[in-house]
Amino acid sequence: MTVVPALQTKALVAGYERDLPIVRGVDLSVQPGELVAILGPNGAGKSTLVKAIAGTVPTFGGTVLLGGKDITAVPLHKRIGEGLAFVPQTENIFANLTIAENLHLAADVLAKALRPARLKKINAMFPDLAARPHLRAGLLSGGQRQMLALARALIVEPHVLILDEPSAGLSPKIVGSVFTMLKEINKSGVTLVLVEQNVRAALAIADRGVILVEGELRHDGRASTLMHDPLLAELYLGAQPARGAA
Amino acid sequence: MIAQTLMDGLIAGSMIGLGAIGITLTYSILRFANFAHGDLISWSAYFALSISTLLGTLAPGLATSVAPFSFGWSLPIGLAASIVLTALLALAVDWLLFARLRRRGGAIIILVMAGFGAALALRSFLEFLFTSKPYYFTDALQIAHPLAGGARATADQLLALGLAVVLVALVHLILTRTAAGRAMRAVSENQALAGLAGIDVARTIRLVWMFGAALAAVAGVMTGLLVQIRPHMGLDLLLPLFAAAILGGIGSVPGAMLAGLIVGIAEALCVQFVGAEWRAAVSFVILVAILLLRPQGLFGKAAA
Repeated sequence: MTVVPALQTKALVAGYERDLPIVRGVDLSVQPGELVAILGPNGAGKSTLVKAIAGTVPTFGGTVLLGGKDITAVPLHKRIGEGLAFVPQTENIFANLTIAENLHLAADVLAKALRPARLKKINAMFPDLAARPHLRAGLLSGGQRQMLALARALIVEPHVLILDEPSAGLSPKIVGSVFTMLKEINKSGVTLVLVEQNVRAALAIADRGVILVEGELRHDGRASTLMHDPLLAELYLGAQPARGAA
Repeated sequence: MIAQTLMDGLIAGSMIGLGAIGITLTYSILRFANFAHGDLISWSAYFALSISTLLGTLAPGLATSVAPFSFGWSLPIGLAASIVLTALLALAVDWLLFARLRRRGGAIIILVMAGFGAALALRSFLEFLFTSKPYYFTDALQIAHPLAGGARATADQLLALGLAVVLVALVHLILTRTAAGRAMRAVSENQALAGLAGIDVARTIRLVWMFGAALAAVAGVMTGLLVQIRPHMGLDLLLPLFAAAILGGIGSVPGAMLAGLIVGIAEALCVQFVGAEWRAAVSFVILVAILLLRPQGLFGKAAA
């Protein structure tokens, strides 16, 4: 039996100007429950690709399919209802709202009857946030902001969660806990797509890695294989070859 | 004497505050100063006047004063209809003008200039329809009742003040306790993130126009009731409205009302102690002072 991909792009062309697309004909397929890291050098179009999938950057060609359904023309605000959540790299929380207001705002898209249980679940999952519901979100540290952004996205229990550079600006210790949390979320059944500059950390938790170069998908392979491929590491990932590798 | 001046200032200030809330909401979400807001105030007064006059003609009983006020039931009905019509007018102006410019990625200055154009067009059309002759909702005389401290106020004036306080509390509660309010605040902070969170940004913008217009309608009708109705009544209020919106801190509803009261009281004190001819200068002085000393206003947040 053929499994319908949780997320798929077919010949996706996207960018800020029609004449100058940043993403050029990307075919990406993510299976249900998979954790895929999108990697590549600076300016490769990684963030633009996920923003186009999420709907914040216009697409000029190709299609985006979510669970087999074409969502290319679905308006931005309706994509969360389709089961697609996106956490941007920066400005991913409402800094002028309190922690509780951020969470309630995310829950507002759900049916009223579902909201209390979901909020309770998220509060149990993120006790640090639950402890200070009336704190203005703008006063949180970088790691706490990332947790709040994750909590906001998870309230709707998305089928696919996309994160753009979740480790950006965080200390190595905090990055570790964020990535541990992401792996746990993925294990709970959420399909995860991760854009990341921190190649080693991303590949350490990913099932698969895809490498984007100049807006095109150049490599696609198991995370463990990519991690130990010195040529790929040197050419595209800027990473040091693994110790002992040829 | 001073108590009366303060009372006069509070009453005028409460109307300024209601108008300023509309300006502060529009500015915080659409990021431009809407100079047509004053003309929504004028139009609302004429909407209510037309409807209450029509009702009074069709059913004279509705125009009979209801003690202790100077007006009959035709005016509250006219106000309710005016709220709806002013909201529709605001939506029509946005649909015809501002939304198109936003879609084209128009710069802020283009939106501001468009607002000036809309204000002129709205005012001129009003003048064409009703001439510049002043109108009154009622010709009944009212006795001012003595209050604490030697101040006096009519029942109409106290109603305007009470209505303003209730509306500010209501708007504040809506913004802080309801999904629609959270959506408005979210859209005001980050439209793209609001969209990702499932908020229909276009619908929220329409809601903000309707909110601002409804408050403008109350301010327009009550100002018309307490003073008079003229096509330029909104224009005359524009500078105090902006002074209050900026003094209160852009985006802050309680701030806009408090600042409206401050502007109103400052104007009343100026009339009392300096001279009525300097009244208009008060808002200008407050505006310049706040921009120089605390541009974020009383309740606004300083830019990072």
